Amino acid sequence: MAATQTADIRALLGAGADDDRVAAAHFLVGAVFLVLAGALELFALFSLRFAGLSPVSFGRAESMANVTVMIGFLVVTLSGGIYYVLPRLTGARLWRKELAILGLVGTSGLVVIDLLAVVLGLGDGRQPFGLPWWLHIPMLGLLTIPFAITMMTIRRREEKRSFVTLWFVIGGATWLPLLYLVYFAGDLPFVSSLGEAYTDLFFTAGFVTLWVFTVGSGLFYYTVVKELEIPLASRQLAAVGFWSLGFAAVWWGTAQLVFGPGPGWIAGVSAALGLAFPIGALANASSVSLTLQGHWEKLGEKPGVVSGVLGLYLGVVVAVLASFASFPSVGSVTALTAYWEAIEYGALFGVGALLAAGLTFEALPRVSGRDLSSLDRPRSFNRWTVIGVGGVMLCLLAAGLVSGYSWVAGSNSAAYVNAGEGWAEGAGAADVLLLIAFGFGIIAFIGQLAYAAAVIGTVTIGRAVPQEVLVYRTASAPEGDAADE
Amino acid sequence: MSELSAAAAAALGIPEAIVERSAAARATETGMTVDEVLEVWAGGGDIPTAAAPPIPEEVAEEPEAAEAAPDEGVPPSPPPAVLPPAGEETVPPSPAAPSGGETVSGKPPVLVGEADNPMAVLVGVVALFVAVFLVGLVGPALPAENPGARSSELPYSEAALRGQHVYQSVGCASCHTQMARPVVADVGLGAVTLNDSNQVLGSRRFGPDLSDVGSRVSASQIEGVITGLGEHPSLSLSPGDLDDLVAYLLESQTMEAAPEEPADEEGAAEEEPAES
Repeated sequence: MAATQTADIRALLGAGADDDRVAAAHFLVGAVFLVLAGALELFALFSLRFAGLSPVSFGRAESMANVTVMIGFLVVTLSGGIYYVLPRLTGARLWRKELAILGLVGTSGLVVIDLLAVVLGLGDGRQPFGLPWWLHIPMLGLLTIPFAITMMTIRRREEKRSFVTLWFVIGGATWLPLLYLVYFAGDLPFVSSLGEAYTDLFFTAGFVTLWVFTVGSGLFYYTVVKELEIPLASRQLAAVGFWSLGFAAVWWGTAQLVFGPGPGWIAGVSAALGLAFPIGALANASSVSLTLQGHWEKLGEKPGVVSGVLGLYLGVVVAVLASFASFPSVGSVTALTAYWEAIEYGALFGVGALLAAGLTFEALPRVSGRDLSSLDRPRSFNRWTVIGVGGVMLCLLAAGLVSGYSWVAGSNSAAYVNAGEGWAEGAGAADVLLLIAFGFGIIAFIGQLAYAAAVIGTVTIGRAVPQEVLVYRTASAPEGDAADE
Repeated sequence: MSELSAAAAAALGIPEAIVERSAAARATETGMTVDEVLEVWAGGGDIPTAAAPPIPEEVAEEPEAAEAAPDEGVPPSPPPAVLPPAGEETVPPSPAAPSGGETVSGKPPVLVGEADNPMAVLVGVVALFVAVFLVGLVGPALPAENPGARSSELPYSEAALRGQHVYQSVGCASCHTQMARPVVADVGLGAVTLNDSNQVLGSRRFGPDLSDVGSRVSASQIEGVITGLGEHPSLSLSPGDLDDLVAYLLESQTMEAAPEEPADEEGAAEEEPAES
């Protein structure tokens, strides 16, 4: 394999600064939404434990937290990452950067509208977002923008060789609108209750696997190679990671309805094919670890790379836990319990946030011309996120197992009928764990505040440093729709 | 300063905003003031740096990449500038200039790629999605035959169907399932749910299962829970929505005997107005 420099190096002096402002704007807005999402998730955990005291039901609070972290933070930030790497890997200017800005403004506004719709009770309660059907249409349109920009930019590429990040970007940008289309289709009148339940789980699992893990890992491949100036250890391992994640998309979602009204074969298929999830996560983590071999000491001054590595490792843990619970024998205890809440929380607020930080902390100085305002804030983010999210995950996992076993034991011993008056007693042990989870949620929120402080502080009070400016080779190429084919 | 920066921008041929940021950086590095830096740049001069800014790995490029570029007539481009280069003399030589496979920088290229077709990746990801969609979603969601056995579809009244919408919009399904499974844990919940159920199945059970709740409790008990008795959150519903929701839950009875035997007299009495 002939080594080549990518089109990272091509540019027309000055022209790239505007392109990079698009990415910087996405990082900034994403940071604000992460703090909002963290606060809403904290409120949701409070509602779960102190249902009688909460002014908003857990269902609505959870939906609001989900839409904020998934769309407001993860879609916005990772889209910004895509806009950051695309010109650097293709040598082409970002296609219609004004469309990217429109997407950012539209997505941000729509998230706010979504929150209002849910809290006012206009939604349909379908997880994970609980939106009214008419809000799905603009959302679908907005989620198509990263796909359009990605493919049109790649179509006009100067660099004919693909670094592995491009696969992940193409995959994530393509899968995201398709996933949402499927989720939207769950609102169609002919879709049965079972179909609707499967659709909701399909979307949630797919979002985590096909967007968060895929795009987050792919962007981190670029970050680690670029920042440390070391070559990727194994392109083949990255390929295994990419296609395995694509294959694993839905199985841990459908596995949550094990023994439910779906056909029996789905349980076995989900368990078997769900193994692709930890394989994909492990392949990416291994690939990066091999790449870093002999260079670990450099991570001391690279908190963003540390974030990404932590995100990949936490991703392996999440994937293994999800795959483990997909087996019917385990699912008989864990299905329908807080166990799955732990998986989703860890994937979104842990893996997603850490992988996003892995990109943002390293890319922001390059696109803003300002150094990180402080290395302490990114380090605080890493520390409190791992402790907080890890703690919440452990508590929710334990709460799920406790309640799962309680149902089984209760029914076996006829101690109570779990659907009736004995419910509170049966689930009582889990309540303590939910309370501890709330405490760890506060720690995680401190980490989220540190993330926002690091990002916003960089562009406001960060020390001015030499800025990386893209220089495009095709000086006269029109910025808009002209393809170079 | 704006005049100075504009003049410097014109002299350097780069955007003014970048010039200002770069001047601040250069001033910090050299101990000069920003205005002094801008003055020098505006006059076309250069300011030596204590340590030359690092030229990242971007400097290196193999000739194949340049040959692959369609625009061979266009002069080769400079590397990504670490601004300000303070004049053309500090701009590193063109990366496309080396011949015979030489690289400008001693650092090896790290963003290694292979010639391929990204559109093939696109086709692959779409095909994979379709396959997973069909097997993982459409397949299990298709209605299966329940030959002569029984149905889980309940004959809800108009009020109950309105109540089902309330049930969904409030987010009840985030904590309650309406799905009894053929497992030990669900013994006593009600009839096992089949795939033609028209209840809101849900996927979390932080509270009791409600598939057969109408067989167990009365209308007044349901209303009491919804309005905040016990540990259940108090739901702020209009009287109409409350009645509809109570109707939906009361009519959620999956056990065959349940419709003929309401849980108690009070429940039966209050079911009437809810449906009217």
